[in-house]
Amino acid sequence: MKRLALWAISLIPACIGATVTAALALGRLKNPILYLRADIGTLSLLLGIGISTLLMLALGGWAWLEHQHNQKMTGTISQVSADRRRFLQRLDHELKNPLTAIRAGLVNVGNGDAPETMSSIQTQVQRISRLTADLRKLSELETRPLERSAVDMADLLHQVFELAQERPEAETRRLSLQLPQAPWPLPAIPGDRDLLLLVIHNLIDNALKFTRPGGTVEVRAFDDGTVVVVEVADTGSGISEEDMPHIWEELYRGQGARGVPGSGLGLALANAIIQRHGGQIVVRSRPGQGTVFTVRLPIKG
Amino acid sequence: MWNNLNRVSEGCQGHGRLSLMEEKSRVLLVDDEAAITDNLAPFLERSGFEVVVAANGEDALRQVTAFNPAIVIMDVLMPVLDGREALRRLRRAGNWTPVILLTQVGESSERAMALEEGADDYLNKPFDPHELVARMKAVLRRARPGQPPLATASRIASGDLLLDRTSRRAWLAGNEVTLTPKASALLEYLMTHPDELISRERLLDAVWGWEYPAGTRTVDTRIAELRRVLGDDPSEPRFIETVPGQGYRFVGSVEVVA
Repeated sequence: MKRLALWAISLIPACIGATVTAALALGRLKNPILYLRADIGTLSLLLGIGISTLLMLALGGWAWLEHQHNQKMTGTISQVSADRRRFLQRLDHELKNPLTAIRAGLVNVGNGDAPETMSSIQTQVQRISRLTADLRKLSELETRPLERSAVDMADLLHQVFELAQERPEAETRRLSLQLPQAPWPLPAIPGDRDLLLLVIHNLIDNALKFTRPGGTVEVRAFDDGTVVVVEVADTGSGISEEDMPHIWEELYRGQGARGVPGSGLGLALANAIIQRHGGQIVVRSRPGQGTVFTVRLPIKG
Repeated sequence: MWNNLNRVSEGCQGHGRLSLMEEKSRVLLVDDEAAITDNLAPFLERSGFEVVVAANGEDALRQVTAFNPAIVIMDVLMPVLDGREALRRLRRAGNWTPVILLTQVGESSERAMALEEGADDYLNKPFDPHELVARMKAVLRRARPGQPPLATASRIASGDLLLDRTSRRAWLAGNEVTLTPKASALLEYLMTHPDELISRERLLDAVWGWEYPAGTRTVDTRIAELRRVLGDDPSEPRFIETVPGQGYRFVGSVEVVA
């Protein structure tokens, strides 16, 4: 839009020149004195066209430079994300075989005379196995086609809420779900139901983990005609300013997250999934007061 | 999960035990990582198999002829000749020895390729060795000597339910039914593993390619969708039975349709 306006503006001198010439030419019929100034008309037309041409050339050159720069930037960004994807795939592949060997080896050893040590090793091996699976999924999410069917968000939120209520933490925290009924219930959105469920599940999981007993976790949703908005709010410990810029990064665990179980991939996965759906996920937080995650998903894909 | 798997393998053992008493089932284990074969072979032997190891696809093809195994467990990424190509050559030669490939078949494109490859089952690394034994016993129990397995048939039917795996379409009593891609992949997995108790975790790994939090509940949602579309009553199932606390089982008998 802005570009078009600039091109139009660059035509103004030529137009002025043309108008002057036309006015002089028309005037000549009535006023012979002006006839003598006809060359001024021609001059102004030529000058107008000249200035316009210069302006257009400058604009064209600028646009070309900008285009070159953009292409270079896009190239760099896609190069970086391709590198990252390859790295994740290689990491996954290089960890898979040793993990398979360790799991087979552990079965051969049996419990022996240190059953507690063995069960601890088993747990840790499973933890790494799960982490590699999550990392692989994260890299797949960026490239693989998404399943898109109509997802009933109200039904999804009810289901994920029921799951949350079954957790032991839910007994000591006030957990609520608010869904609109009037003037109409939530519309369906096109997407992969299983992945969207995982997003909301991860957000509620975080909210429960970082909220003390007696605190509140609210899940609410509404639509504004173009997007469905889902909010997961808590009165938990909040996210510190230092942590805030990093919370979407893979494997990042904030200071407040130390001692709280988790892979450090929950938010990275949520972010990747919402991006793939053409939506947005944002967070607002006040340390000591609480946090609210807001997910916006377009109703029309 | 651990308990479930043990129960699954016990359930399968009943069938296999007689033949195991007579002679141990021979298994060919193919992987280029010695750390894996060194650790897996003794476990498989203790589980009642006679094990021979090969380090690549070419070696594996030689051993299939020399050793005549009852089942082959094969990795995919290997030097000299990879697992997929070895399997393709085996099937092209008309050899239908059951094969379990150690790879993931999560996406529909991979599943389409898997159908052509002709593997009997898939297991993603890293796996629980008990799960591998449970898979092996299930595959051996289903195997019909010298014949292509259900897993490689493109059209299969159970009663009036017809599934075309190539076009990913299903018909019930002649009427086409609409399924989401996940539900259709789930039905395909259940139908190609009939009469087998399959845990939710295994379904997640095999169909979703990923065992993730809240995933087991997702399996239940898709099973409910399948039942609704197929008009299957869970209390008197024609197709999918719930085994409380353990998983699901496809109870209808499944046939290959030409």
